[in-house]
Amino acid sequence: MTRNVDVSGLVDTAGGLLDRAIFTDDRIYRQELRRVFAPSWLFLAHTDQFHKPGDFFTTYMGEDPVIVTMDKHRRIRAYLNSCRHRGARVCRADFGATRNFTCTYHGWSYDLEGKLVSIPNRDGYPESFKAGDWGLVEVPHVDSYHGLVFGTWNPQPVSLRESLGDMAWYMDAMLDHDPEGTAVVGGVHKWVLEGNWKLAAEQFATDWYHVNMSHASALMLLSPIGKGPKDEIVHRTGRQYVDPNGHGAGFPVHPKNRFDARTVHQWMDYDALRARLGDARVEGPLTNGHATVFPNFSYLPVNGSIRIWHPKGPDRMEVWAWTIVDKSMPPEVREAQRLYNLRTFGPSGIFEQDDGENWSEVQAVSNGFITNGVPLNYQMGMGSEREDGRFPGTTSELYSDAAGRSFYARWRELMNTPAWHEGGDR
Amino acid sequence: MTTTTERGRAGQRADRDTHFEVEQFYYHEAELLDDGRYTDWLDLLDEDLDYWMPTRTNRLRRQQAMSVAARGEAAFYDETKESLAWRIRRFDSGMAWAEDPPSRTRHLITNIAARHVDPADHPGFTEDDLVVRSAFLVYRNRLEREENVFAGGRTDVLRRAGSGLLIARRTILLDQNTLLSKNISTFF
Repeated sequence: MTRNVDVSGLVDTAGGLLDRAIFTDDRIYRQELRRVFAPSWLFLAHTDQFHKPGDFFTTYMGEDPVIVTMDKHRRIRAYLNSCRHRGARVCRADFGATRNFTCTYHGWSYDLEGKLVSIPNRDGYPESFKAGDWGLVEVPHVDSYHGLVFGTWNPQPVSLRESLGDMAWYMDAMLDHDPEGTAVVGGVHKWVLEGNWKLAAEQFATDWYHVNMSHASALMLLSPIGKGPKDEIVHRTGRQYVDPNGHGAGFPVHPKNRFDARTVHQWMDYDALRARLGDARVEGPLTNGHATVFPNFSYLPVNGSIRIWHPKGPDRMEVWAWTIVDKSMPPEVREAQRLYNLRTFGPSGIFEQDDGENWSEVQAVSNGFITNGVPLNYQMGMGSEREDGRFPGTTSELYSDAAGRSFYARWRELMNTPAWHEGGDR
Repeated sequence: MTTTTERGRAGQRADRDTHFEVEQFYYHEAELLDDGRYTDWLDLLDEDLDYWMPTRTNRLRRQQAMSVAARGEAAFYDETKESLAWRIRRFDSGMAWAEDPPSRTRHLITNIAARHVDPADHPGFTEDDLVVRSAFLVYRNRLEREENVFAGGRTDVLRRAGSGLLIARRTILLDQNTLLSKNISTFF
């Protein structure tokens, strides 16, 4: 079969070069949906969005619409949001509470277990029709890690915990401050970007480098009035975690490395955090970092910003972003975290505005024939990857493309590997 | 102009002169925003400003009452005068790349309906102050061919201040679910 593209020549991790076709080619994009998104663990929701049976949230896995809900046994499950009869969505609300999901086209209705429980004009169907065969298509594996719910269509996946590997240690720096865990404040910000989803995902995995230039205006706001960005911001040292499964996280290691709201900072009990998480995490990934869980879930630990980059074609993505807080935070601290995240990394935020501008810029010019053939440079920090004895797994410098190279190596591997649904077909 | 306090104006529709005054006030405000004179725009906002633009969600019809995010939930803006001033300082840094080169915007303000405040509904305000509903259409054109249209409604409380008006409360409802632009870099 020739419908799959061999992407080996498009990602040169040894040379640190990337072919721009991976951001623009429609065949490559369709292949990503089949081979990157379908087999991977994808972020669905936060457990705090489900408190009682029937609470639901609608989202996407790749471009597939799904309903995430809590069933009668309080288990979080996910279903393809498409009626088995003619295919319309059976739930068109963003979130809410319900007893069943009814298609408004012909009225087929499904319960919280996905079973087809009501069919108008049922006697029009032949005796061979069995309602039990026509339940909603269920996402076969749903699991959560410290409040983050992931699902995969892969019938035989490695476990979520195993796929996170050492990345979990870094994630705990945001998700496991105390035994109470985290909660969502205030719903979901959703906005569109004219850019390939990987531009955002790789940046959150690997790119501290852009901060000083792209976010210069925001850094000035966080510095004393009338002065440029503080020296300790621009000349930070830090580490970048490089995960073999394509995850990545970067963080400064510096005593003044927080951009966060003062109220939140003052509330944090750093002694308790050191006791629980260890000095390395408190001084590293618990601070002002960035991270991506392959393929398209990212977060900013200090802001409590968690987000997914939904693919919407080779040249478009949709950003869905939540603000999470520690459940143990009192109301005024939660509010400070929410407002700080809104004003920095909401769609009107002083940081987020400039990120969107970069991605749409890179995308817009990549369609030129000559431009598309000029490779992009991912050589920063080449050869710097090592085990540093302090942070788990392989790490590189703060200013490095190492996690980006690893992100694309994982992407290349999946793109060149037939998924379960292909039956060995290359 | 109606400047003397009459009995029984609370909640009543403002007169023609007041409507004209409010329209002119909004046209001036729109001009400041479209000309990028944000510091001058700040002067139209009162010190106790509450400036709020909540997100809006698709809800089942029986849960429709909750389709506008509540206070404390996801918002595009949830600002004080101080936080707006902080955002505006960014534009003066010379490095706010999302607005460099600057966008072209046009704020069209229409459907203006002004009523005198009923202090029972708005503690701390008087019948001289106004509750004004208006509609907006904001067009943004950026770089070579980027276009965004933001349509929605506003509910303001305008406070009488000397011979003029100041914006003390503003709630902005954008008529979108997913924000159909890469960012919000203007004000409404």
